[in-house]
Amino acid sequence: MTRAAEPETGPSTATSGAAGKPFAASAGERARRLAGAAFAALVGLFLLAPVLVTIASSLTTTSYVTFPPKGLTLHWYAELLNRPEFLDSFLLSIGVAAGAAVVSTALGLAAGLAIHRYPFPGKSVLDRLFSSAFAVPTIVLGIGLLQWYAQLGMASSPLTLLLAHLVLTVPYTVRLVLAGLAGLDRSAELAAAGLGAKAPRVFWHVTLPAVRGPLIAGAFFALITSFDDLTIALFVVTTDMQTLPVRIFNYLQYNYDPTVTAVGTVMVLFAAVAVVIIERVVGVAHLFGADPED
Amino acid sequence: MTAGTDTVGDKSAPTGTDTATRAGSTRGRLVLKGIHKALGGKEVVRGIDLTMEPGEFLTLLGPSGCGKSTTLNMVAGHLLPDSGVVEVDGRDITRLPANRRAMGMVFQSYALFPHMTVAENIAFGLRMRKVGAALRRRRAAEALELVGLDGMGERYPRQLSGGQRQRTALARALIVEPDLLLLDEPFSNLDAQLRVRLREEVAALQRRVGTTTILVTHDQDEALAVSDRIAVMAEGTIHQLDAPETVYLRPATDFVAQFVGEVNVLDGIAAGAAADGHRCRIGDSHLVTATPVGTAPGDGEAVRLYVRPEAVRVLAVPGKGRPASAATPDPASTSTRTAAEPGLPGTVEATRFLGTRVRCVVATAAGRVEATLPFGSAVPGLGEEVFCAWRPQHASLTARP
Amino acid sequence: MAATARVAHGPALTPDGPTPAPGVSRPVKERGPWRTGLLLASPAIAVLALLFIAPLFMLVYNSFRTQAGDPTLHNYTRFLGDSFYRDVLWHTLWIGALTTLGCLVVGYPFAVYLRGRSPRARNYLSLVLLSPLLISMVTRAYGWLVLLGPKGPIADGFHAVGLDAPKMLYNDTAVVVGMVHVMLAYMVLPLMGSLDRIDPALTPAAKGLGASGWTCFWRITVPLSLPGMLAGSLIVFSLTVSSFVTPAILGGPTVKLMPYFVYTEATSNLNWPYAAAIGFVLIVVTTVLTAVYARLLRGRGGKEVFA
Repeated sequence: MTRAAEPETGPSTATSGAAGKPFAASAGERARRLAGAAFAALVGLFLLAPVLVTIASSLTTTSYVTFPPKGLTLHWYAELLNRPEFLDSFLLSIGVAAGAAVVSTALGLAAGLAIHRYPFPGKSVLDRLFSSAFAVPTIVLGIGLLQWYAQLGMASSPLTLLLAHLVLTVPYTVRLVLAGLAGLDRSAELAAAGLGAKAPRVFWHVTLPAVRGPLIAGAFFALITSFDDLTIALFVVTTDMQTLPVRIFNYLQYNYDPTVTAVGTVMVLFAAVAVVIIERVVGVAHLFGADPED
Repeated sequence: MTAGTDTVGDKSAPTGTDTATRAGSTRGRLVLKGIHKALGGKEVVRGIDLTMEPGEFLTLLGPSGCGKSTTLNMVAGHLLPDSGVVEVDGRDITRLPANRRAMGMVFQSYALFPHMTVAENIAFGLRMRKVGAALRRRRAAEALELVGLDGMGERYPRQLSGGQRQRTALARALIVEPDLLLLDEPFSNLDAQLRVRLREEVAALQRRVGTTTILVTHDQDEALAVSDRIAVMAEGTIHQLDAPETVYLRPATDFVAQFVGEVNVLDGIAAGAAADGHRCRIGDSHLVTATPVGTAPGDGEAVRLYVRPEAVRVLAVPGKGRPASAATPDPASTSTRTAAEPGLPGTVEATRFLGTRVRCVVATAAGRVEATLPFGSAVPGLGEEVFCAWRPQHASLTARP
Repeated sequence: MAATARVAHGPALTPDGPTPAPGVSRPVKERGPWRTGLLLASPAIAVLALLFIAPLFMLVYNSFRTQAGDPTLHNYTRFLGDSFYRDVLWHTLWIGALTTLGCLVVGYPFAVYLRGRSPRARNYLSLVLLSPLLISMVTRAYGWLVLLGPKGPIADGFHAVGLDAPKMLYNDTAVVVGMVHVMLAYMVLPLMGSLDRIDPALTPAAKGLGASGWTCFWRITVPLSLPGMLAGSLIVFSLTVSSFVTPAILGGPTVKLMPYFVYTEATSNLNWPYAAAIGFVLIVVTTVLTAVYARLLRGRGGKEVFA
């Protein structure tokens, strides 16, 4: 670089014009930070508003839904108990969800171990299927399952619903288990084995603790996914066998009263418990592919 | 070869004075006055005062967390000091944002823009200064040539080796003809051999273009090898600011002595000035000579001496042990003690062969003294009685803390 | 478990051998591990094969049949030949595009904001971000019904300042708002991943070379977060065009999209082959569009970013 610089590139031009103007770093910085916080608060409000509104309007004393609620009452929750069809649906949903949680956790553990540890034909295809299955349109899957079940002559039952939900939940449990195993130092297992532990003991004392968090999180995620599913269920259920979301969806077509907000609130509370547990054991963000360093 | 063995020669005068004569070094005079900065509730820079002459190469040397990078970032404009003034060529730039300063900075990670070619990276600063495309291309080509990357302009950073990335970062920083060149641990991501080669290249380049340069590093070899002056920092303050030779041979504090290489620490009592330094009594009766750092201590004051192992000569005691230095190639290192020379008697406790050198441990009245004997020296035998001596200008003397 | 046992005993049997952990370092060639792997994976493979791949094949097969089961192309010619259904397709893609754009506009600044927060704050904000996905879509959509309704709080706000509230329910706006609400997390998480991978020294480096804050943002941050934008957009678009429940509740009778016709053909009209054909068209069009979008974005000098 020669010193005979073109005048416009000289550093004096770069700075001299501004030298007299003091840089109001702190004030500008504070304004920017405030704007950022305000924006984030708005986004947070946008994200939480529908739930807050649902919960609040379930407490209204009016016979129509309104926000903000007028007065405070638990009347609509009591009303729920007088509606056996909601209770039936709740029991059906929770039963199917619990089944889906248990089965997909077991399948996820087995498949996760297989993919992480053993070579077998088609392994990479399987891995890729598991990481892409969550992006498949559920509406298309629903109608596919409807026609496939009909082809097989399988009548609607809680079992067919549970099986359908496995497609939604197993990819997540597999991914969670794989993430847990990736964090497990294989040499810890070898060290345990080297110290004389037999294979089942190594599995129980070293391998399993490493994936315990992912398993619990996977189970609860499967539970709420199945419990909340509407799209698949719409194709698989019958009028005699309606899950809670289907029941609400159908009820909404003809009614507009706070009973639904009360049911919705119950479902939110249900999900909240699951979310707290997931957050405690692995962190919710991991379910949706956030970087593990977060 | 460490820089230390180099400097235990006779060219003991600081070389910082010749910087003013460097080509084109008329601007880039940096002054820091009373800089303080707290980060995360902890005061990491606690009063830095510093003046750099145009064209000077100064190194901020210290362990991690000593505030050296924070100081550099305040010079660059990425951090605002809590108090104090940053001046370049007499202009106060303390509150000037980074993009309106003219600082060329090379980051530890090089911070090359991965989505731009090498040429685009290098020309980025010119582009920000609205330089036309044709001129930009020409200047980028010149800059590439300057750092020895001719023809690599169309590559992307990920296609370069570590050394090439480093040179790209250097070219990108220099193309804007900055007031100062700021190097933030630029060699730490390179392997040992490349590190040595590149630091020589950077030093040579700096001498050629004459840009005032600050290097931040925790590597004392690096600091000694390339700097005109070194500021040794710890806990947010400068412990010593001197030419490399001075910092190495006459450390001002315990911290400097111990951070910059190995050192013998000897405690004694000041015993009056002499023509070649300051006399100092160690134990009951042994007199040694050293050069005081700062004000000379008064007689009888408790003092501390720092002597580098390379500066210690192990001398045979006349009439004892083997005959004096029959086959010694370097009489300066191992020879017989002359009668007038002060020195510290002791017994050889251990000798260790270190390849290019021999390490000799001598038990004296002031504790163990370690000496590094150059290759080919006669090695004293275990248990032999010897004298440890050094040139007064190779030992520093401070008031005992 | 046979293979696990062999691995476990490997080191014990050869304590002084040159390969200290033969079970790991040596690629296992015996057939045992194969069998163990397949055995462990088989239930999951069965789920995918019997409940995912088979139904999709069934769907494609049926779409080329008449209701009586004879081979035909009629379902496709009917769909593509009818301007009503073509409009439905355009409308669906339009809603998908609007939702993707909405997610980008809201999600990008949000991701940038999250990037600068402490891990703790990030965690809480991520939880808020993900909350719509964890709540029943019925509840969620119902909440919007109340919020956007003519007597809802937003309408009240308009009235309070003396304005007529615009119609906010049962139109495209309602659907897009509801969809952005659900899909935002799918946009923000990949964006955060992309932003986190950017060397934090790049912005100071650009500033030091004379770039202003805006220039840094447009020339450094935005190009380097393209992969996250791409991934987020693809997921949001694909999931939006195939959503059924939110458009069904918030769109009312005027916004009828592809999934709605899949549903009504299958359940009300009981024309399964036609429902299958609509579903398949949806998948094909989505796949082609996302591939084109990905190609365009990568082509735009983004090659190095995606490398």
